[in-house]
Amino acid sequence: MDLVQLQRQLVDYRTSLYHEGFLDEQFTQLQELQDENNPDFVVEVVSLYFEDSERLLNELSKALEQQIIDFKRIDAHVHQFKGSSSSIGAQRVQRLCIVFRNYCEAQNVEGCLKCLQQVKHEYSIVKTKLESMFQLERQILNAGGSVPV
Amino acid sequence: MAEKSFETTSQACCSTSSESSPILALPMDTPLRKVLSRISGFASSWGKKTVTAPRGRRIFHRDVEQDEFQNGSAHCLSSYYSVFVARLAIMVMLAILIGLLTVLTWHFTRVYTTKSLNTLAYGLRYELLQRPILRMWNVLNSTSEITTAQVKLSEYVIKRYSKPTNQAELIELYQMMKDITWALFASHKALNAITINYRNGFVQAFHRDHRSNNTFYIYSDLANYSISDTQSSQQGWNDQFIHGNESAIWYRQPLDPVTGEKQGKPSQIPPEDLINIAGPSQVPDGVASWHVAVSKYTDSPLLSAALPVRDASNRSIVAIVGVTTALYSVGQLMKELVEVHSGYIYLTSQEGYLLATSTNTPLLNNTANGPKLMMATNSEDRVIRMGAQWLQKTYGNKFPPGHVVHVEKANLGGQHYYIDSFFLNLKRLPMVGVIIIPRKYIMGKVDERALKTLVILISASVCILVIGCVCILILTNGVSKEMKLRAELISHLDARRRAEASSNYKSQFLANMSHELRTPMAAVIGLLDILICDDCLTNEQYAMVTQIRKCSTALLRLLNNILDLSKVESGKLVLEEAEFDLGRELEGLVDMFSVQCINHNVETVLDLSDDIPKVVRGDSARVVQVFANLISNSIKFTTSGHIILRGWCENPIVSSDSGKLSPDQKNPLSALKTKLKQHGNHMKKASKKDNKMILWFEVDDTGCGIDPSKWESVFESFEQADPSTTRTHGGTGLGLCIVRTLVNKMGGEIKVVKKNGQGTLMRLFLLLSTPADGIEQQRRIDFAKHGVAVILALHGSMGRLIMSKWLSKNGVPTLEASEWNELTQILHELFHARTTNSGFDTHYSLAKPLRSKVQTLQDMKNPVYIIVVDLGLLDLSTDIWKEQLNFLDKFSGQVKFAWMLNHDTSNAIKMELRRKGHILMVNKPLYKAKMLHILEAVVKESYVEPPNGSPNGTKGTSKQGDSHECLEIDSSQFETCSSDDSDISEMTGANSASSVGVGEQLKEGTVLKSGPPTLRNCLVEFTRLGLEVNNLRTEEDQCNGRPKLHDTKDVKCENPDSSEQPSVRSNAKDRDNSYTTNKAANEQKTLEGLRILLAEDTPVLQRVATIMLEKMGAVVVAVGDGVQAVEALNCDLDRDENRTNRLQTEICDSPPYDLILMDCQMPMMDGYEATKAIRKSEERTGWHIPIVALTAHAMSSDKEKCLQVGMDAYLTKPIDYKLMVSTILSLTKRSP
Repeated sequence: MDLVQLQRQLVDYRTSLYHEGFLDEQFTQLQELQDENNPDFVVEVVSLYFEDSERLLNELSKALEQQIIDFKRIDAHVHQFKGSSSSIGAQRVQRLCIVFRNYCEAQNVEGCLKCLQQVKHEYSIVKTKLESMFQLERQILNAGGSVPV
Repeated sequence: MAEKSFETTSQACCSTSSESSPILALPMDTPLRKVLSRISGFASSWGKKTVTAPRGRRIFHRDVEQDEFQNGSAHCLSSYYSVFVARLAIMVMLAILIGLLTVLTWHFTRVYTTKSLNTLAYGLRYELLQRPILRMWNVLNSTSEITTAQVKLSEYVIKRYSKPTNQAELIELYQMMKDITWALFASHKALNAITINYRNGFVQAFHRDHRSNNTFYIYSDLANYSISDTQSSQQGWNDQFIHGNESAIWYRQPLDPVTGEKQGKPSQIPPEDLINIAGPSQVPDGVASWHVAVSKYTDSPLLSAALPVRDASNRSIVAIVGVTTALYSVGQLMKELVEVHSGYIYLTSQEGYLLATSTNTPLLNNTANGPKLMMATNSEDRVIRMGAQWLQKTYGNKFPPGHVVHVEKANLGGQHYYIDSFFLNLKRLPMVGVIIIPRKYIMGKVDERALKTLVILISASVCILVIGCVCILILTNGVSKEMKLRAELISHLDARRRAEASSNYKSQFLANMSHELRTPMAAVIGLLDILICDDCLTNEQYAMVTQIRKCSTALLRLLNNILDLSKVESGKLVLEEAEFDLGRELEGLVDMFSVQCINHNVETVLDLSDDIPKVVRGDSARVVQVFANLISNSIKFTTSGHIILRGWCENPIVSSDSGKLSPDQKNPLSALKTKLKQHGNHMKKASKKDNKMILWFEVDDTGCGIDPSKWESVFESFEQADPSTTRTHGGTGLGLCIVRTLVNKMGGEIKVVKKNGQGTLMRLFLLLSTPADGIEQQRRIDFAKHGVAVILALHGSMGRLIMSKWLSKNGVPTLEASEWNELTQILHELFHARTTNSGFDTHYSLAKPLRSKVQTLQDMKNPVYIIVVDLGLLDLSTDIWKEQLNFLDKFSGQVKFAWMLNHDTSNAIKMELRRKGHILMVNKPLYKAKMLHILEAVVKESYVEPPNGSPNGTKGTSKQGDSHECLEIDSSQFETCSSDDSDISEMTGANSASSVGVGEQLKEGTVLKSGPPTLRNCLVEFTRLGLEVNNLRTEEDQCNGRPKLHDTKDVKCENPDSSEQPSVRSNAKDRDNSYTTNKAANEQKTLEGLRILLAEDTPVLQRVATIMLEKMGAVVVAVGDGVQAVEALNCDLDRDENRTNRLQTEICDSPPYDLILMDCQMPMMDGYEATKAIRKSEERTGWHIPIVALTAHAMSSDKEKCLQVGMDAYLTKPIDYKLMVSTILSLTKRSP
């Protein structure tokens, strides 16, 4: 009973993520790619994403603290961030990245800083959401069930 | 003089005015006009600037912008203003010119006159003054001469009577002296007096009073003088003595002025009362002396001279002789001289005392001490006084040397006078002569005339000015109007140019836009095709997608039309010059359209005359486009009837021969011909050289027709004969416009021609050149020789008619049948009648003419009958057709059947026909080339028949099969192009397909030319092999009932039994599978065995992509940046090279990776750089590894950039699974 509830909860949670726009079909594709050969593919990719994103966010904060801001570098970072976000389907982060890049092009420091904060915020939300989702999945797996698709 | 000068002046004025007016009237290009226009232009621009500077641009758009009345009126005002200013400027210039001329003329004439007059006047004055001075000189001279003579005489007399001792002797001496003195005095009338003053005090004198004309002898009393006195007081003789001798008594005795006789008693007078007696005081040094004296009795000054008389020993002075002359005569002379000139002359001594004047005023002052000389400044005469005063005032005492003064304009009492003075330097009596002549006298007339001249000149110039101004007004009125018109014209031209430019921009924009739009449209259509091929579509979805595709093709067609049109309009369309088979192209076209027409119940007929050259030079695609547009247009408006495409060649010789046309069409045609005759003649010259031909075509339909008033306008763009047709038939109205522009471009013309009956007749001619080697004589079997007879059993009456006409022209007798019953009748007549020899069935009653035809056929010796049967004649709806076929089979021994198939004839029927041995099958419509093929096949068969045995055996000879195949393929090949739908947009595709066909056909033709006719079969075989695939596929398409896809990549064949097909087939199959991978991805390893290098820096993406690719069975090597990618490739390359070196036998010609996925933005080295490097390194190996760009930039410029650096494809992030797979497959397919 518990397992079924957990499974339902996971499905609900996932759909809510889709509905609220945190994730898009790209994430579905990721999930489709996961099979017996790569059982933890999604988790692997997402944790890769977390690592990479934290590195990038750190770089960005550092770069924006500099006296002379290298917008090109920031732009490259944001571009990368955007690419990886879109790859896992974190579309809200991705959209913010687009705005960020626009500010970058305009060399607007204030806008960049504001965007950085927003991006960080969104990223943390996505991170917590994804982590809690994985937690659920793990619970299901531990309980001996299978993750519903 | 002045008058003359005025005349010249006025002449000059006239000449200037008469010169200037013709210049003004000259045309625009005279320099003066230019200057005028420039001035006015300047003025107008100035005026514009000041008045309507901001509106200057619109100045001549009045008529265009009539609503802007305000603007217009302002413009009016400004233009008037500018014209006014221009006129004013011209007038002012004219005025200045004329005024200057006048003043100059006046001035010069006046100066000249004055100068000459002045010289003359100076001469006159000099002369006038010279005369009195000469007279004066004469007077002086004569006085001195007389004096000298008197002295000499006196000396002589005194010497004679020297030393008078007594009184008597003395008296005698005095008497003698008196006589000689009288003689002298009488001989000189001008003398006033002669006095002799003796030493002893005795005085003898003669005096003449000029006023009373009396002459007196004056003497002193002798009694008081002693002789001794004279001797003793020789030294003390002085004036005092004389004057002191007051005791002496003076007597005056009047004398007869002529004879000198005494006339009365001497009267006693006071001494020295009357005259001056020259005394010793006047000759103090004993030489002659002069002085001016005055006398109480004369009112003029006297000139007196004195000389001493010496004794014989010349030691002492005995007496003193004095002579006085009145200056009266000088004055008289002067008066006479200047009276005419109303001037004044006076002489003064150096001191200024008046000696003589030309007036009668007294010269002497009567003072208490007797009369005295008067100063000139005190003269009673006003003018003289003033003149003297003026001279004194001007010069004072400092006279110029010689006292020579010439003053031309001295103002004396309000009047101007000339004043000249001369100086006469006489010893002891220097004199100054002054002449005063009123200026009025000499220059008065001149001044007056000058004034008059000036007045006349001014009035004349004013008149000229006024006339000139009027002339200018009149002239500039015209000029300004003209200028206005010109400016308007210029502005119109400008506007037109701008409009043209904008229209040019528009068409360029259209061209660009439609080009740009076409690209995505092509993509849309391609993607739709992919989608249609997809299995997973429901029926509804399929229908929708098909609809979308139709709409897309319609849109693409429209875009193509616009592009064509704008291309032509912008002059970018260049026609090709290539040889092509015109007949073939048109046949293909008709084949294509006939499919469409069959659905419309419209018959398409191609009627080309035999003289049309087989091969012409030109742009085949464009020619076909012309006819395609025309035919499709006709089809659109024709619901029933026929569409005929006629073609014939205009030769100069047969141009009048329009026999192939029905007689009712003859008249309009000839009219058109005469109309185009000049054009044709003009062309003929060129055509002789270039071997050009005028090819005439007609597209004749039985549609709704076009209203004659719209015959011209239908060829305009976006113009349709009936606007309502858009709703019913669709279309944009561009087709005919394109046709006309293309036809014109090809040196032809198109127009709508009047037609009898319903429908439209479009006639056009094209100017196409034929190959230089001359018109190839068409190979033709003389069918008449073979005794061929044809029975045409066809539905379409028009096509049948034309075909039978052509056949009978070529000597092939024909019979026609339009339905099944007719055909059976004919067959009965022909065969049963012959066998039974009598009317077989009475109810099979043929019409008279037909029967006669049948008769003629029956008369033929051993004829070969060919029955061309339209499959439509059979009743296909039920199974009756099989029976009908069986019926016909009965005649198969005697006749040959050729079947006309519809494009949608089912395979079952075909199979059945083939089974029955009917191997001649041709797709509709029937035209000459097909007929020829049929005939040839039959004739050949009939020749081949005897040695081979039974021609209709079930086996069927391969040759026959081939030939029939050939025929069928021939037509089906075109069907391939047209089977889908007959959109014009597909024409390009059709063209390419048909041109392939042409190519093959040409190949065939060339071999045919070289080889004997028997070679044909193997050639047919040769073509068959290549075309079989095509044929098969077409059939499959038809079976499937789905539109055929043009893109070979997307060809989808479900037919499993096509294993013998080339390798393309297997590829296609693979791809078929790939479309279903997303459903069953695990089972399907589409990319099995592919080695893929993935260059991606983002770890997430790298991972995702790797998994994606690996899932499909690809071997993925992932690298983090461009440098690594290049390195990975290079080391593999090197390894390959090494391997190649080691194992010489093993040829490793495949690159290490089948494909590279390259992210564009990477650290160290981005994708573009990496690609460049890879491409560079590839140069030595000759490989080409496909590189697919991965980028998040979704801009097309990025795509271009990617392709530019050498990438092969382009994917956007996030990676779309399907798109990636298809891209990879399409790329790897190429590489072995």
